[in-house]
Amino acid sequence: MSEASVTVMNLPRRDAQDKLRGRTKYTNDRARPDMLHAVLLRSTVPAGRIVRLDVSPALAWPGVRAVATGADAPGLYGIGIADHPLMAIDTIRYHGEPIAVVAAETEEQARAALAAIILEIEPLAPVLTMAEALEPGARLIHEDWRGYEVITEGGARAGNIAWEAKSSRGDVDAAFARSDVRIVESSFSVGRQSHVPFEPRVAIGSWEDGRAHIQTSTQVPWTVRNVTGRVMQLPPGRVRVTVPPVGGGFGLKFDASIEPITALLARMTGRPVMLENTRQEEMATCLCRENAEIRIRSAVTAEGEIVGREAVVLMDCGAYGGEQVFLTTMTAHTLGGNYRVGATRLVSRAVYTNTPPNGAFRACNGVYNTFALERHTDEICDFLGLDPMEFRKKNVLGDGDFGPTGQVFEDDVLAPMLDRMETLRAKTGTLERKADGRLYGMATTVGTWFVFTGPSAATVNLNADGSATLVTSGVEIGSGTMMQSLPQIVAGQLGLAPHQVIVREADTDAAGLDVGVGGGRTTVSIGAASVAACAEVKEKLLRAAGEMLQTRPEDLVLRDGRAEISGRPGSGATIPAVVAHAQATTGPITGSGAFTAKNTPAMAGCAMGHFIDALDIPVFVVHEAEVAVDPDTGHVEVLAYRVVQDVGRALNPRAIMGQIQGGVVQGLGYALHEEVTITTDGRIAQNDFETYRLPLAGDVVPVAADLYEGAPSLGPLGAKGAGEVPILAVGAAIACAVSRAIGKPVRQLPLTPPRVLGLLHDREPQPDFPHIASGWAANTLG
Amino acid sequence: MTVTFRLNGEDYRFRDDPMTPLIDILRQERFLTGTKAVCREGFCGACTVHVDGDAVPSCLKPVGLLEGCEVVTIEGLSAGNQVLHPLQAAFEAADAVQCGMCFPGMVMSLLAFMRDNPDASRDDIKAAMVGNICRCTGYERIVDTVADCLAQQRQTAKVAGGADV
Repeated sequence: MSEASVTVMNLPRRDAQDKLRGRTKYTNDRARPDMLHAVLLRSTVPAGRIVRLDVSPALAWPGVRAVATGADAPGLYGIGIADHPLMAIDTIRYHGEPIAVVAAETEEQARAALAAIILEIEPLAPVLTMAEALEPGARLIHEDWRGYEVITEGGARAGNIAWEAKSSRGDVDAAFARSDVRIVESSFSVGRQSHVPFEPRVAIGSWEDGRAHIQTSTQVPWTVRNVTGRVMQLPPGRVRVTVPPVGGGFGLKFDASIEPITALLARMTGRPVMLENTRQEEMATCLCRENAEIRIRSAVTAEGEIVGREAVVLMDCGAYGGEQVFLTTMTAHTLGGNYRVGATRLVSRAVYTNTPPNGAFRACNGVYNTFALERHTDEICDFLGLDPMEFRKKNVLGDGDFGPTGQVFEDDVLAPMLDRMETLRAKTGTLERKADGRLYGMATTVGTWFVFTGPSAATVNLNADGSATLVTSGVEIGSGTMMQSLPQIVAGQLGLAPHQVIVREADTDAAGLDVGVGGGRTTVSIGAASVAACAEVKEKLLRAAGEMLQTRPEDLVLRDGRAEISGRPGSGATIPAVVAHAQATTGPITGSGAFTAKNTPAMAGCAMGHFIDALDIPVFVVHEAEVAVDPDTGHVEVLAYRVVQDVGRALNPRAIMGQIQGGVVQGLGYALHEEVTITTDGRIAQNDFETYRLPLAGDVVPVAADLYEGAPSLGPLGAKGAGEVPILAVGAAIACAVSRAIGKPVRQLPLTPPRVLGLLHDREPQPDFPHIASGWAANTLG
Repeated sequence: MTVTFRLNGEDYRFRDDPMTPLIDILRQERFLTGTKAVCREGFCGACTVHVDGDAVPSCLKPVGLLEGCEVVTIEGLSAGNQVLHPLQAAFEAADAVQCGMCFPGMVMSLLAFMRDNPDASRDDIKAAMVGNICRCTGYERIVDTVADCLAQQRQTAKVAGGADV
């Protein structure tokens, strides 16, 4: 029996029943009458200096048990550089920044007390855009940027440039100087996207035996543990983080934010304290997918060979560096992905502004860089009179091709996936007839992403009732990995049924280090650690069974809940009998496993300021959209959507289909109507469901998908993460389809009706970035 | 002010501000947290409950308007270890649930819709879901499941109707 035949299945979710009955207790369902409720005093200006902060009147308010400010937890945190205080200390850098917090017996009492806090701010002229931040002599958003602790070495930094990452391979100047090339340049601009998880960020802190215990809705329990330690200036081991079921994350909960505040208040009061963002706070301070500005230039021969490419990507990190510092790395793999290119140089810069900090969002950085790259590719094809599908077939990355950091790609994956898209289209047919007089467009686009591997740990305890307990720091955020792929993997390794595998909720006191649920890594990294743990369990189990049955362990197999003599079904002993024997003779059977990536290296000198040099597990997608554009209103209707996704191996095909449908629809929102704008006073203008237009049932179409198996992967059974990438190329596919429908270049997202109408009538200004120098090198810190 | 209404089949008496939204009583007083407070403005539908059989967002329902009403929450659909309602069972079987926070409200809205619109088309179902937002699933599997359940319901009604003849 192959590993796959006992692991691959459409296992339903074990948490569905309780979720459907309303019995699941998410973090924000766990308020108890003895808890204190905390509310934050947030800044109402985007930039300023705190000249007076007196919280004593609030302390005198009825029901108030504690008031805290930044001075109570002065440590700084961040990714790459520690630039972020838990609450503002002296300087205000964004509208909505926490300044103080009140814990009271009721939320009403806490809110009333907030109003009593005396706060005087000397406002400063805010720096709201990247263009302003990059102006010579612009006010520094972090005056002390030189003094910050550098957590990861290697990135260039200066003033309002929080981090700069570069990749460079080959002689780009020579490529552009060739006499046989044409040069195509395009500029793109995208806004932010708000995650809108149904459960907002929320945490419950308590102080137990001299340690903090935080229950929270997070994707990264170990980050919350470490950040809480940093800001409270405690050893991180004095913080325990446990994670109930999470009501949606999408990357928003891939960083710590308000959680440490609850630990601080719990220590001050000795009481459990709950802090939950209101929907308005959640949207006003959402760690959005960042707005970005991209200029890309390519040197292409008449035959369509890309001999040179250079690009500048500006990523708005908002007031603090956060995830964008890391994500500058990704430009090399997303904008630098998809195609075989001769010489390449790319720079991406995370730029500080006085706006709410941005963060991680499903296929971070990749979504807009794929939009830019695919639209640029279509502009190249237009310019040279090449067929865009043929161009893609000829130029997509294949076996032995180099990425921008010198990574060598293995195997032909994208080209056969493009063929599979044509087969899928032949099967579904196309829907031009449904355009019904409107402008019709169809486009096929490609995308490159990766599995963010990184360290994971797993422990498997085999119990005397034949069940196994899997202990990891994995979190169930809705994607189903903890409910489906992980129990499937463990059951498959141990000859059990998936329902016999108990999956422990994340608890940093029980399980080893994990970098978190995100980047499509849970099935791969925790899965691989689980396989390693199972190997130890299996070895112990077979040894005990061999002893019991007087057989050599190598002649035994685990199947259907038994340790059997190979080839003799029903022989041997049941697993509970073997476990009982082991418990009495050598002790309980338990195994532990660990995993991290092999860290595929870059070519010498190709990657600067990068957090990862190369993609350990590349993941590819092909997306195709058909749209109809109403020329009178500018409204875009999506008629059909098709996906071919590289999944390595589909462990639970039906669950993957669910991820693809959901991810594509989130991408449709991004492409068409989810728009975040910043007001002149630095606020996110869309702070509720009326102003931020989420996709509704009537907006969506059933996505036709084909799962492409067999591409190389380090993952268990060759699996790749499947939940992250479905959003990757949606902006690209929609933008290319709309552009073809209206016959105009599309260089901005989202494509709201007014914007599309503007494009149709040549009234929409095209992105033009005076703050991006025309010479590539002038956009780098050297 | 005192307001008396039935909550999941039992009498419930409330003595406080009649403008208190029903959802706060459900979640904070009765710990019926299956009703989710997501937007608190009537857009998302996650807090939908039945009031005298109608699906209503409990965030917009002041308790003062509930005198004598019958309120049923998601917890009231199937108590204890009772089997799931067929629509809930169908969602489970179809692997429709992801993070799950929209589903209690989705179930309450759709049950009232299915009762009142037994012949609804796929488009009708989508139109009915305009007040129930889901951020995870992309909706189609939910729509398919409801369409299948309605077809099943019609089949059952036809068989029962046939038996009468």
